[in-house]
Formats: sequence, structure tokens, C-alpha cells
Amino acid sequence: MPLAMNSSLEGKTARLELSGELDGNSAPSVRQEVEKILGASPDRLVMVVDRLTFMASAGLRILIFAKQRQPGLKIYMVQPQPTIVDTLKKTGFYDGVYVVDSEDIDKAAAG
Amino acid sequence: MDEQTFPGTLDSLEGVRDYVARAAGQAGFDRGKIYNLCLAVDEIVTNIVLHGYEEAGLSGDITLRADLDADEFVIRVEDHGKPYDPNAHRMPHPDDLSLPLEDRAIGGLGIMLAMDAVDDLQYDATAAGNVHRFIVKLPHANAATSPGRQS
Repeated sequence: MPLAMNSSLEGKTARLELSGELDGNSAPSVRQEVEKILGASPDRLVMVVDRLTFMASAGLRILIFAKQRQPGLKIYMVQPQPTIVDTLKKTGFYDGVYVVDSEDIDKAAAG
Repeated sequence: MDEQTFPGTLDSLEGVRDYVARAAGQAGFDRGKIYNLCLAVDEIVTNIVLHGYEEAGLSGDITLRADLDADEFVIRVEDHGKPYDPNAHRMPHPDDLSLPLEDRAIGGLGIMLAMDAVDDLQYDATAAGNVHRFIVKLPHANAATSPGRQS
């Protein structure tokens, strides 16, 4: 399934919704979008990925890129599918991002 | 399953995963295993396209073939790019995996995921082409060779 994405910025929180498949072919456009988002220096990047059905290591490299560009950035992944959680855990990325159930980050953090 | 040939370009990745998913589904694997096999083949095919073909200034095809016998399921991937043995790649050290993301190395993750998904990843570079073989032992084959098995 082709990748679709949508981004927005509210205050210091950037939102990036991804659906479909994130592979080596689609990753450059996502990286470009992340680069654009980081231009606004957000504190938080909320990635809504509940409809992301595939993520290759190219997706992991985008997370590294974002953190290298802006080390203080907090990255949230909202409702990743179990297969993607598995990839995050195997590669040690699970501890480098906040995996949350709700897009309402403040509420999720409080819960 | 009949072999299928794809152009050695990144826009073939979706078709490659579809092929692997169909073959692994026919072999009876569960959803998680099918996903991991798709991920494994996707990672290696991505490397073939980027490093074996594009970086080397070459172009060519990638041919997949799935075989199932009583003991194992095998996905064979053949290409004609610059040879590279994934088994020669240095895997991330366990300590590397707990580093903050900003300190992580960019490379090595794909091959690590590919190797994790299979029981064996074999590679041969011959004059006729490079061949990766992704091998998954079938559960009953593992049981038959496990030391504690009682008949």
C-alpha cells in the first residue's frame, strides 16, 4: 500500500500522520517532510502511525535523523502496530521514543 | 512458487513484499512471521538496489523464487549487481542498541533485522550472479532434530 502522510504544527508540537508502507522507496519523502517540520523547531513530534502497516529500517533512520538534527526533540509514536513495536524493540528504538495509546499526549502522559 | 523478476529499483519493493507475503502465506506461516519475512527480504533487496546496482553504476533485475519442502521454506533472491555478503557486515553491538537515538549509527539495522527473521541467511557470489537464500526451518523439522525429542 503506498505511503500517505499529512503534517501540521500547533504551538511547539508537530504532528505527522503516516499510513501505508514506509520503505526505502517512500522514506526520502518522509525524511524531507520531517526536515521541513524541524525547521519550526518543535519540542515534540507526534507521529500518528496506527495505519502504518510496514516500516523498514529506512523508517528507523528517519528517527535517528530527527534526533540528530534536534537532540532535545521528544518523539511520540501513537498506536504503532505490534509488528512495528517488535521492530522498535529489537533495534533498541523502543526506549528512544514514547510509544503512546492516544494522540492527546498530555493526557496519555498523565495516565 | 513460480519465480518472479523485478527491475532492480526501489519502486519494486512493494511487489517484492507482495511476492514474499503470498509465498509465506501459502506455506502456512502466521501474520507475524510473514511480516518479518517481508521485512527481511525488503531490507536485503533495498541494499541490492542502493549498493549493488545504483552506487556501483550498474542496472539489472532481481529475481525471487520461493520453495517449500518438508523441512524448510526458502526465498531465493538473485541479482547481478556488485557482490556484497551481508554475513560480512558488522552487526550492531548489544551496547549500541541502548545508545540514545542521536548517538546511533545509521547503518547495519537492516541486515540485523533480516538475519533476525530467518534461521539462516546464506549468500553466494558467482559468475552467474549473487544469490541470497532466506531459510526458515519448519516447526516439525525443528522438533525432529531437537535433542530431547521422544518417539
